[in-house]
Amino acid sequence: MTGIPLLSILLGLPLLGALLIGFMPESSRRTIQLSAIGVSAATFIASLLMYSGFNGNTMHFQFRESVPLVPSLGVSYSLGVDGVSIWLVLLTTLLTTLCLWFSQYVTERAKAYNILMLLLEVAMLGVFMSLDMVLFFIFFEMTLVPMYFLIAIWGGANRAYASIKFFLFTAAASIFMLLGILTLWWINWKNGGGFTFDIPTLQHQVATGALWANFMHLQALIFWSFALGFLVKMPVFPFHTWLPDAHVEAPTAGSIILAGVLLKMGTYGFLRFCLPFFPDVIGQMVTPISILAVIGILYGGAVAAVQPDVKKLVAYSSVAHMGFVLLGIISLTHEGLMGGAMQQLNHGISTGALFLLIGLIYERRHTRQFKDFGGLKAQMPIYAALMLITMLSSVGLPGLNGFVGEFLALMGAFRAGFAGFNNMPLILPVLAATGVIIAAVYLLIMFMRMFYGPNDNPENQRLKDLKPWEIALAGCFVVFMFWGGLSPNTFLKPMERSLGAVRLMAINPAGQRPSWQEADQEIDATGQLVRRLPSGGVEVISDNQNVPERVSPEHVARK
Amino acid sequence: MVQKDLIWLVLGFPLLGWLIQSLFGARIAKSMGKPAAGLISVIAVAAAFAVGLLLTVQLAGLPPEARGIVATAFDCISLWNIRIPVELRIDTLSMTMVLVITGIGSLIHLYSMGYMSEEPEYPRFFSYLNLFVAFMLVLVLGNNLPLLFIGWEGVGLCSYLLIGFWYKDFANSKAANKAFIVNRIGDVGLVIGMFLLLVLAFDHQALFKGDARWLSYDVLIPALPEMLHNNGGMATAIALCLFVGACGKSAQFPLYLWLPDAMAGPTPVSALIHAATMVTSGVVLLNRMQVVFAASPTASAIVAIIGCFTAVFAALIAFGQSDIKKVLAYSTVSQLGFMFIACGVGAYWVGMYHVITHAFFKALLFLGSGAVIHAMAHEQDMRHYGNLRKYIPITFITMVIGWIAIAGVPYTSGWFSKEEILHDAFGNELAVIGGVNVGVAIGFIGFFAALLTAIYMTRMMMLTFWSGEERWKLIPATEHGHHHHEEHHTHGSEHAHHEDHGPDTHGFFFSEAELHSKHEGDHHDDDHHALDANHKPHEVPATMWIPLVVLSVFSLFGGIWLTDKFGLFGHKGKLLEHWLDNPLNHVASHGAAHGGDHGAHVIPYANIVTTLGYSIGLIGMVLGILYYFGRLPKAEGWDFTKWAPWRRAARDQFAYDQVMVDAAVDGGGAVGNFLWRAFDEKGVDGGVNGIAKTLQFFAGIFRKSIDGFARSYALMMLFGVALFVGYLVFVLMSRGSIQ
Repeated sequence: MTGIPLLSILLGLPLLGALLIGFMPESSRRTIQLSAIGVSAATFIASLLMYSGFNGNTMHFQFRESVPLVPSLGVSYSLGVDGVSIWLVLLTTLLTTLCLWFSQYVTERAKAYNILMLLLEVAMLGVFMSLDMVLFFIFFEMTLVPMYFLIAIWGGANRAYASIKFFLFTAAASIFMLLGILTLWWINWKNGGGFTFDIPTLQHQVATGALWANFMHLQALIFWSFALGFLVKMPVFPFHTWLPDAHVEAPTAGSIILAGVLLKMGTYGFLRFCLPFFPDVIGQMVTPISILAVIGILYGGAVAAVQPDVKKLVAYSSVAHMGFVLLGIISLTHEGLMGGAMQQLNHGISTGALFLLIGLIYERRHTRQFKDFGGLKAQMPIYAALMLITMLSSVGLPGLNGFVGEFLALMGAFRAGFAGFNNMPLILPVLAATGVIIAAVYLLIMFMRMFYGPNDNPENQRLKDLKPWEIALAGCFVVFMFWGGLSPNTFLKPMERSLGAVRLMAINPAGQRPSWQEADQEIDATGQLVRRLPSGGVEVISDNQNVPERVSPEHVARK
Repeated sequence: MVQKDLIWLVLGFPLLGWLIQSLFGARIAKSMGKPAAGLISVIAVAAAFAVGLLLTVQLAGLPPEARGIVATAFDCISLWNIRIPVELRIDTLSMTMVLVITGIGSLIHLYSMGYMSEEPEYPRFFSYLNLFVAFMLVLVLGNNLPLLFIGWEGVGLCSYLLIGFWYKDFANSKAANKAFIVNRIGDVGLVIGMFLLLVLAFDHQALFKGDARWLSYDVLIPALPEMLHNNGGMATAIALCLFVGACGKSAQFPLYLWLPDAMAGPTPVSALIHAATMVTSGVVLLNRMQVVFAASPTASAIVAIIGCFTAVFAALIAFGQSDIKKVLAYSTVSQLGFMFIACGVGAYWVGMYHVITHAFFKALLFLGSGAVIHAMAHEQDMRHYGNLRKYIPITFITMVIGWIAIAGVPYTSGWFSKEEILHDAFGNELAVIGGVNVGVAIGFIGFFAALLTAIYMTRMMMLTFWSGEERWKLIPATEHGHHHHEEHHTHGSEHAHHEDHGPDTHGFFFSEAELHSKHEGDHHDDDHHALDANHKPHEVPATMWIPLVVLSVFSLFGGIWLTDKFGLFGHKGKLLEHWLDNPLNHVASHGAAHGGDHGAHVIPYANIVTTLGYSIGLIGMVLGILYYFGRLPKAEGWDFTKWAPWRRAARDQFAYDQVMVDAAVDGGGAVGNFLWRAFDEKGVDGGVNGIAKTLQFFAGIFRKSIDGFARSYALMMLFGVALFVGYLVFVLMSRGSIQ
């Protein structure tokens, strides 16, 4: 696979597709739609190729490409994937393909719509593959533009308000991130490291302790400037209010992408920046951020339970689910990180599928209000069965994907809370666990109101069940729900080394932190950080086996 | 020798049945008839029973200390620090439950073929039932707690689906939701218990010798006594968390309130899931984790007290019920209380003993009540029954056997297990809280509950089969049947008015012609006639009475065989006790408090206990017969004002259910609405919109020609640049670079 710039191909395919569609006449709608599906499918296949060549036994970036863009400032076109990003890349290409497949229902201004969807894919892939902070930021902001137009043009009645709100919230937050990026760049320059935005290079400076040595007082400030950008994106309470509006007004495919991928840019950013770059202050941030996560879990659930609109209910449920992701990650335990990373994939699948199914009924009935539904199970049994499985996956039923992530994330948080790692209070994971009760409440109520009871709305009595191609489309999601639930190792294994490295970057003292820069460093099969020696042997830098979570001084005193 | 890989067949048959039923069931039912479709499911469970029996026989052939075999399939989750494989455990506890589940399960499947024969969605019912059996088997066979949890929530799911089986009635769906949600509360307890065990295991890594299967029984349980040594607080915490889970699934006091509502499901479901198997999962869990409970007298005492309270509380409520299934539901809750008394006082095997005998007689009673309901045109109110023994003799005789078994007539199965429970409550000394052994008090209260049981069961039997009069004959005959057709017609005419969406370009809707032919086929539902004076009850078909007869044989003789109290079969001591004496706990209970050889304990008030044990059930039955044998008493009739106040209160579950449901639904709704309306929309958004308005105001000063969005964005940028510059200045200043 060497020599082929696979990641550039991944970026280039949808971009080319968008260009190609640009030359097609608006009138040939069918051709436009089919070529968009074809291009996205080709991108998905290319990403599968990448996956087949991906080595899950290393913490380092793979398929790296690097071309200097602005050498004088240190900006470069630098790409690569590791275990943290591999599944997100695949999720992006998969969801885009499925969304475009669904989007045959979009008949109005189909040309612009398909172009925007493909451009959105380019931007999302760019976010997950960039190894340069400026490149990352550009892609991060680039996702806003297509999504803004998708909501503003193809959205619902209140689309103007929703699209502006979406844009302003996330753009405002990312300005702070830009500040953070520039400060890191400046600090590195002050330290004599020259101008560079290269993520591995900068992280190496953090790993050795050199970067922050003279700037310790800035670390917390810069942490928050990054974190704010990602927390709004995730979104975490109290920055979540843009999400329900954006979801309700967005077209179906927009909602799927928004929930499935755009929110993951927040958690991904957290894993890529907030954990590795701020090891000296991350410990203090555990409690405040976990509190936000837990509030999000409970608050999102409580508000979801009283929504009269199905889509808004699912939107609020996203706030709760992303709370679990964040809680797992910020617990800084191995199983917590793995669970959080798994849960973000699950959320993409489950919530994406929920939005898809809601979209399918919306195409038919042009309403999403509970009061217009009821008793659909008898009318549309296959639709009901698909919705049931999806709903249960979102509830976190064991055996389906949602459970694995939630379970591991909670387990990690609980262990951190019980031992008092980083002063995490035990009450937080316990409260978070009650969130699964609330999840059952709102999702079961949703299912009951739509599918049970008498089918007494005459409009609904005329409904046919889903068409075969719609069943196949939803079936694609269902396959992953079972796969993730029954054999989660498929998804966990490729992530383990990279996440293990990220965790050690966050919790280890300087000198024992893994570095993406040093190719001879590696995380071994038991999670230890080792250095391969020229002699052929290995030297253990940091052993992971015996719980090296940083224990707070108070906790030590208690023991 | 045990062919351990056969265990996958035990699990595989019901799963296969589920798959066939859910994918092809409808087609099979259409082309080969409903019985053919039903038979697939029956065979699937019966085959699992056959293989289970074979394995149990093989297991019994091993020496006792070798009776614990693990069959591993693949790693489900394997991280560096935790490994959760898919692995099944073949030991005496799991195989006992396998036999109960698949044995009684196949009988109930057979019964369902008759009971559900008029049901249009017949395959859906059987697919859920098969799926339930599969999940229940995962629950008992899984060799680690996460696998148990998969089964635990899986059976909850099937219960949810089956309670809401007749979903067109909102009440059923609400009952289903209640069951799932209340169970989830218990599940959170179980999960936290699991996490506590895990935390503890992490602290004692040396005990596991590098095996990261922290939650697998064969690794965890032998290590537990050492882990809990001198750590009573932790033992109590873990035990209570696990018990919260058990309370949810096994319907104990704070969380029992889903089970009575669960009677909304078809009666075979009530028999299989809500009496014989699923609700006993809590007892199985306590048996499995008995080492933890044995290490904590406090937790054990709480288990026993809760069990005892539930036994009495539910028995009292049963007096206020007129619905035959509700009586049985509360009786189930009460009997489960007895099982928890046994576990609480440390007699874990006795808990399982009552699980088994209860499975026999309660499944029998539920199936019998189903036969009665079937015979009485789906009327469940006992005030419409009376004198039914003349019409449905087989049902009558078998139910009488169930009745004497649950009431505790000496030498029936129920008597053996109940007597053993109360005996152990007096004799064992595990349940100690605050230095006080609560066993004796619980024993006496338990006898009171047993008395109540005998009385309310007698009441149910009298009202149904005796009491002279045939009360359904008092219902005036009415006309039924035709309103459904009219409804369809009105719908048909309504469709005509709803063509205002324009042409149906995507083919989303049925055309008028298709709709018409579709409704033609819909007439089969609800065609059974309602109960009235012209009704003549009929005995049920063979598929339904054969299971009744089989179960009644077990209800009579199942007890003697398992305890060998009289050495009838030449064994020394108690067969079941020795069988369930798990080698896992053997190693473990060394040094820890345990309820092993309680024969050595001195029983206080021995004479009284023995006398009560023999007589209490009979006393209750005599009292009940005296009161209810004649006509329907005034205090039982349709006029609630004539009811005794305490029985009216019992009818409403002493207001407990209402208070809890109101608090949860209204309170939860109010909180949600408050957060949404007041906080989300006014608080956060209000603030943000305020900023936006301010921005727009300033923007208006600068440029009035550009539209709002661009203005705001431009201004946002301006603000951003200002912030950025300010920030840079701050950074540089604080570094002391600018001086």
